[in-house]
Amino acid sequence: MREVDERYFERLESRLDEAFDVAKRAKERGADPKPEVEIPTARDMADRVENILGIDGVAERVRELEGEMSREEAALELAEDFAEGRVGDYESRAGKVEGAVRTAVALLTEGVVAAPIEGIDKVEILENDDGTEFVNVYYAGPIRSAGGTAQALSVLVADYTRALVGIEQFNARDEEIERYAEEIALYDKETGLQYTPKDKETKFIAKHMPIMLDGEATGDEEVSGFRDLERVDTNSARGGMCLVMAEGIALKAPKIQRYTRNLDEIDWPWLQDLIDGTYYDDAADEGDGEDDADEDEAADDESEGEDPADGDDADEPQGPPRVDESTKFLRDLIAGRPVFSHPCAEGGFRLRYGRARNHGFATAGVHPAAMHLVDDFLATGTQIKTERPGKAAGVVPVDSIEGPTVKLANGDVRRIDDPEDALEIRNGVEKILDLGEYLVNYGEFVENNHPLAPASYTYEWWVQDLAAAGADVQALEDDPRIDLEFPDPEEAVEWAIEYDAPLHPEFTYLWHDISVDAFCDLAAAVADGRIEQDGDGSVNGNGDDSILVLEHDDAVADALETIVIEHRQRDGEDRIEVDDWRPFVRTVGCEPRKTVADGAALEPDADRDGRTEEAEPSIELERTWSDEDLSDRARNWGREDEPDGANAIEAVNEVAPFQVRERAPTRIGNRMGRPEKSESRDLSPPVHTLFPIGEAGGAQRNVADAAKHAETMSDTPGVVELQVGRQRCPDCTTETFKNRCPECDARTEPDYRCPDCDESLEPDDAGRVECDRCEREGTCVEVREIDVNDEFRSALESVGERENAFEILKGVKGLSSTNKIPEPIEKGILRAKHDVSAFKDGTVRYDMTDLPVTSVRASELDIDVGQLQALGYEEDIHGEPLTHEDQLVELKVQDIVLSNGAAEHMLQTADFIDDLLEQYYGLEPFYEFEDRQELVGELVFGMAPHTSAATVGRVIGFTSAAVGYAHPYFHAAKRRNCDGDEDCVMLLLDGLLNFSKSFLPDQRGGKMDAPLVMSSRIDPSEIDDEAHNMDVVSQYPREFFLATREQADPEDVDVEIAEDTLGTDTEYTGFEHTHDTTDIAMGPDLSAYKTLGSMMDKMDAQLELSRKLEAVDETDVAERVIEYHFLPDLIGNLRAFSRQETRCLDCGEKFRRMPLTGDCRECGGRVNLTVHKGSVNKYMQTAIQVADEYDCRDYTKQRLEVLERSLESIFENDKNKQSGIEDFM
Amino acid sequence: MPLEAPARIVSELTSRGYNAEREAVTKLASAENPQAALERVVNELPEDALVVRTDHVDATLSRADATPDSPGGSTGPDADSAPGSRTDPSVSTGDAVPDPTAADGDGPVETKGGGAADRSVDPELRSLEIAGDMTGQSTGTGEYEDFVAVFRDRLERLGSKLRGRVNHRPASAIQDMPGGSDVAMVGLVNDIRSTASGHWLIELEDATGTFPWLVMKDREYVDLVDELLCDEVLAMEGTLADDSGIAFVDSMYFPDIPRTHEPSTADRHVQAALISDVHVGSDEFMEGAWNRFADWLHTEQAQHVEYLLIGGDMVEGVGVYPDQDEELEIVDIYEQYEAFNEHLKKVPDDIEIVMIPGNHDAVRLAEPQPGFDEELREIMSAHDPQIVSNPSTVTLEGVSVLMYHGVSLDEVIAELPEEKASYDDPHKAMYQLLKKRHVAPQFGGHTRLAPEEQDYLVMEEVPDIFHTGHVHKLGFGKYHNVLAINSGCWQAQTDFQKSVNIDPDAGYAPIVDLDTLDVTVQKFS
Repeated sequence: MREVDERYFERLESRLDEAFDVAKRAKERGADPKPEVEIPTARDMADRVENILGIDGVAERVRELEGEMSREEAALELAEDFAEGRVGDYESRAGKVEGAVRTAVALLTEGVVAAPIEGIDKVEILENDDGTEFVNVYYAGPIRSAGGTAQALSVLVADYTRALVGIEQFNARDEEIERYAEEIALYDKETGLQYTPKDKETKFIAKHMPIMLDGEATGDEEVSGFRDLERVDTNSARGGMCLVMAEGIALKAPKIQRYTRNLDEIDWPWLQDLIDGTYYDDAADEGDGEDDADEDEAADDESEGEDPADGDDADEPQGPPRVDESTKFLRDLIAGRPVFSHPCAEGGFRLRYGRARNHGFATAGVHPAAMHLVDDFLATGTQIKTERPGKAAGVVPVDSIEGPTVKLANGDVRRIDDPEDALEIRNGVEKILDLGEYLVNYGEFVENNHPLAPASYTYEWWVQDLAAAGADVQALEDDPRIDLEFPDPEEAVEWAIEYDAPLHPEFTYLWHDISVDAFCDLAAAVADGRIEQDGDGSVNGNGDDSILVLEHDDAVADALETIVIEHRQRDGEDRIEVDDWRPFVRTVGCEPRKTVADGAALEPDADRDGRTEEAEPSIELERTWSDEDLSDRARNWGREDEPDGANAIEAVNEVAPFQVRERAPTRIGNRMGRPEKSESRDLSPPVHTLFPIGEAGGAQRNVADAAKHAETMSDTPGVVELQVGRQRCPDCTTETFKNRCPECDARTEPDYRCPDCDESLEPDDAGRVECDRCEREGTCVEVREIDVNDEFRSALESVGERENAFEILKGVKGLSSTNKIPEPIEKGILRAKHDVSAFKDGTVRYDMTDLPVTSVRASELDIDVGQLQALGYEEDIHGEPLTHEDQLVELKVQDIVLSNGAAEHMLQTADFIDDLLEQYYGLEPFYEFEDRQELVGELVFGMAPHTSAATVGRVIGFTSAAVGYAHPYFHAAKRRNCDGDEDCVMLLLDGLLNFSKSFLPDQRGGKMDAPLVMSSRIDPSEIDDEAHNMDVVSQYPREFFLATREQADPEDVDVEIAEDTLGTDTEYTGFEHTHDTTDIAMGPDLSAYKTLGSMMDKMDAQLELSRKLEAVDETDVAERVIEYHFLPDLIGNLRAFSRQETRCLDCGEKFRRMPLTGDCRECGGRVNLTVHKGSVNKYMQTAIQVADEYDCRDYTKQRLEVLERSLESIFENDKNKQSGIEDFM
Repeated sequence: MPLEAPARIVSELTSRGYNAEREAVTKLASAENPQAALERVVNELPEDALVVRTDHVDATLSRADATPDSPGGSTGPDADSAPGSRTDPSVSTGDAVPDPTAADGDGPVETKGGGAADRSVDPELRSLEIAGDMTGQSTGTGEYEDFVAVFRDRLERLGSKLRGRVNHRPASAIQDMPGGSDVAMVGLVNDIRSTASGHWLIELEDATGTFPWLVMKDREYVDLVDELLCDEVLAMEGTLADDSGIAFVDSMYFPDIPRTHEPSTADRHVQAALISDVHVGSDEFMEGAWNRFADWLHTEQAQHVEYLLIGGDMVEGVGVYPDQDEELEIVDIYEQYEAFNEHLKKVPDDIEIVMIPGNHDAVRLAEPQPGFDEELREIMSAHDPQIVSNPSTVTLEGVSVLMYHGVSLDEVIAELPEEKASYDDPHKAMYQLLKKRHVAPQFGGHTRLAPEEQDYLVMEEVPDIFHTGHVHKLGFGKYHNVLAINSGCWQAQTDFQKSVNIDPDAGYAPIVDLDTLDVTVQKFS
């Protein structure tokens, strides 16, 4: 580790220690469930593993093993330790297996996710039919978060430990084997699996599985056969088991095999058959096997047949390289979330390779002008479902790529590279001809193992082509008169000809999108065109203000729109004007000839220097070729699935005096997924204090109301019967529900009793409380009368607040934790005062969509250089001293950027914490913020759902985008990527002071999303390895771009990725990027999806946009909206209507069927339907209208007609139909 | 040539439309005169037998000496049981089926008529009446009160069949009675659940409230609990517990079909063809089988078939399941009905046709389903069919046929134990509905309900024939003398059915003699 990194972490940790000290002192004084901070700090993975598991000695052993072997091997090594009792304090063999399995899962998930504690319920020893014992591992749903490999290895570890402690293998009964097959199919249908093994495969696995896989029921659907099995407690699908079997064992068999081979104790020879797919043993199936073999052979024959042909054509491929269309991303299209481009559609986003500084790790760079032009549906952080390379990506604004090209109502076709321009012209946009470029980094292709798609021809490729052609690029770059990236058209032509390099991309148009015929016609039209001085005096980069004027013709206009060249269509004046005409004219094989009065032609180049002010020099365009000159190859160029000659690029190359590369061979389809998020996390309804008030607080759960509530006139107001944990003072034996004795202020202890014999019980070492006599679990929970009024008043008094300090104080109905310990109301009062609400674990949280950033500018973070320097930033990315706000600095791994909303929320939380310290704990305030600038440098926790470990982060600045920007490693440490995932931040001291495990719900998954442990520093080797695939270079080599045309495997290309620096001194630094962006928050701050009001407004906007986008087929969008949104809604609601539950309007009691009495059986109140006519047919008319307006298929229209009639039939009285006016005449 | 004998026998049987068990063939081959034995066996086979089984051969051969020329054995379905002669229908699709009259006119009962197309039609002799058709009578508007009214009507009408049998009390009165009293109650099943100790708690509801009834696990009635569905009407008799909070069941009564029920029959020999699930428009519609059926109706063997009842799913429909359009031969719903009408035209025009809609048809899915609307009626005008609601009762020359498409059979089969209801014996599931006197008792599950002013799904009167379809399986039998027929379908196995291993009985037409209620099955696939 470099010294600067060490200093950085020490800085973080010293601030952490400071906060810890305060929290420790506070906790000792308060009446929290525990007198100490409940989030232990883990400096490394070994610590986290031990803390999450709560097994002593694991961390030490893990550290010992870590240097010597892989994590998987360490897991097996630890299994031995467990078996032999070296680690863990387990008496029983089942306990040893359990400990080993949990540890293995924890180890393989880096001790971050909740899978090891929540995903494995228990391990038990059962008996086979022959009387031998076997191991049963009981999985639960949260095992999902462990991922396939860890799931599979957990089975292996269980088996290994089983063998070591001397338990026999499991012999599944036939009905159990069948059950596995049926159940996995059911689970796949109900919930869906990434990989669904065939029934045969499942049965094969089940038959050979040496331990029993079992688990809790996770769904409502039940299997129809193989029910009520003796050794399977449920008839529903056991989700955890299904995941382990399908996505673990079946999918990851090769990975497990790698480890079974090295273990003598266990033997899984059947894995080989599983991998080979040779698990068919009966005769009939062998036939199948042969068939397969035949097919393979046939396939081989085919390819052999093709091979020589390929060989012949090797120098002359049959068509341009293209990726295949994939329509998967369009599935389940949602109303109100628009499609931006159909698969590979012309006019859609053009794939450009590169990584912007706010990019990588499942994100997509889009030009901010495009974000505005798609009617603001895209904003920073909006998730899009995309065609390739992954499934989804978070959108980031990148303005160093090409913007969209639009056709305006006045006939102008313009490329919009400035978001301001986009806003200005937005109302006049008639058609979005091209969405501009779409930046995807190389690492995405590596991560998704997707073959490289042919690259767009872009500046960074061209400049390397130019160098390869022999130009002195350095000299050109140094020439102050030359802008290499955006040259004059003259220069571009000159370079192309002089160096024999491909034409500059700026003037390379999308020739591959027009047909050869259209190209010939266009060339003819150009030859007929004339050059005029437009007289506006502007110099369009031609060295003069000349323009090319063509006669107006729809086909020509169409071709110009398709190749996406800026021009003006003047229908009325019968002309089309092109400004930057020289490269265009040369590309279509025309030569401009300057004619003077005497008709002598001048060399075009000559007129620049030797300009003569001769009278009326006119330029004529001469076509240097005729249609017949084109070779057959050029004439018929195109993909196999296109008509011959659909692609004019070869024709262009034959007629142009220079090479022209394909400008945009890959278009990427996508649609909107989830909108971006930046909002505080509230329980619903929001809660200020985890203090129970039952029904007394009304639907609002208002504590003040509960304090006045009385069931009857004779009851004392505010006295409510509640379920809480009974505590006892060890000193004076006073019974209470509080954590401090109201009499003597000593800390109290839970008072466990046996529910049968009422014997007082003590918890054992493992924390279990069991009555030996009755063999029942003891509990301290009891129903007791609590004077909420008194509690509320005395809490107000103790923090010195009055009731008008807050609008409302909301409590909870009841507690869901094991011991039902209520939170002190005082904390709620102060939360309510500062308008923050508590999550189920007592913390205050703020959710944001995750986005990556590796370099930042002070100016975009609303901070100054001084603040950056104070945080330890000394130089910019080029190594220059940091002096002004616009310099880019490389972000340190644990620094994060808060959204404006998050900053505001953090300030409120800080005020709450300060009040809490002062008024409740009696300490000095800690934060004392005046404005948000003071937040810079403060520590927060980052914490993702489904995980159990928080990561410490440091605030570095603020952004107006509704997202949380942070280093990709920070997100990866939380086990998130940035494809639209969201997670939360908490203020450090809030977590330390207010989190308690005692509040966590008792049920499955209750420990998920709770900071059971925190990582104080990120070790790049111990994070989600997806982040290691991010590329960290400043330029992709020319070989890379050439390889994309071969659609090479990304692994075969040499671009440095983060993985390459792991474990070295530079592992925290050197994250270079290929593209800059002006500001990490450009484009709209919020997606239109969030600013538009009703679903109808959103859908109207969605359909309206689909009409405007060249790349979108609006009929298809309408069809899909109807198919995936309206129809399921209508059909579902109609179905629900005709089999609905009913509910009492007064007491909320639900009835499966309408009571015959008509009234509520519980309270006599009014009962009503839960699904009404209004909710069934709310979309009917809209759907019909959309189907009509967008010309949907008859099939779709008829489905709607049939439904409409069904609705009429159900909701209208045949004898009292609304009749037409003629009935009254 | 001993080796040839079995082969010859098999081919002989096949040519006559029979399949045979291996052992039966061996026995026949080893008979003294295999050819004669075969003739006798075939003559003595029950009419509806599809497969020549060992016991048929044994029976015939053992009698051979005594009565060499004894005419046929039993005919017609056995009362109160599945037709014993019909084996597992799931294997029958590929089998040959007796076509008694097709090959050589050797068939049993029909007298030979004259011209092929003519049937002895005397319109005066025919009669066809419809009852319980709610088409155009849908007055419900989907309000809460409509639902309440429907369930009250159900209790009222089915309860009246039980009130005479027990000394019933309202639920609200029972809880006020002293502990230990004998009590009885009539009500809708509101809830069925098992207790921790394995007993069953059944909550009955009437217009005054609910009352829990406990069926002890060791009582004889416990088996009946398996048959119960929510919202069916039941009577229970038993003893109140000491605290009057619960009653212990001594006996349970279903509305049921009286055992003494005597079906009506026609006064003359006339037949009705009962089919369903045509599914025109599906890729799998068996046009060939349908044409053979239509052709057969023109033959003299079919001259007594004067009625054709179609139990729903005329067409495959649109949007019945996701991506259905990919499996449609005809994607346009109206064209589907037009095609169906064309197929209907092939049926002799002097046959009376009655049809009800099914779940694939373009009417509401919620039951009762009204008959097709005007637009579709105009399309399906061939032979001027009677189009009525699902369910409806049609009385043909005195024989009442309750036609119901059969969506609730899925639920009955799913909820009840396999031996009481299964896809292989769909008629057994129908017996359950007869016993409950309701075509779709359970609310809130698979079957959908549209509330109308009365419960059209109640079997107020006992039908003589109960006709359903929907499950694409053929099965028939008698329950308390009521003939229950589930017709097969005209759609070959679909991909979906293949995936769930359902082998439909496609291309069968059960023909009922209205004078005897005997059934013959004609196979056309």
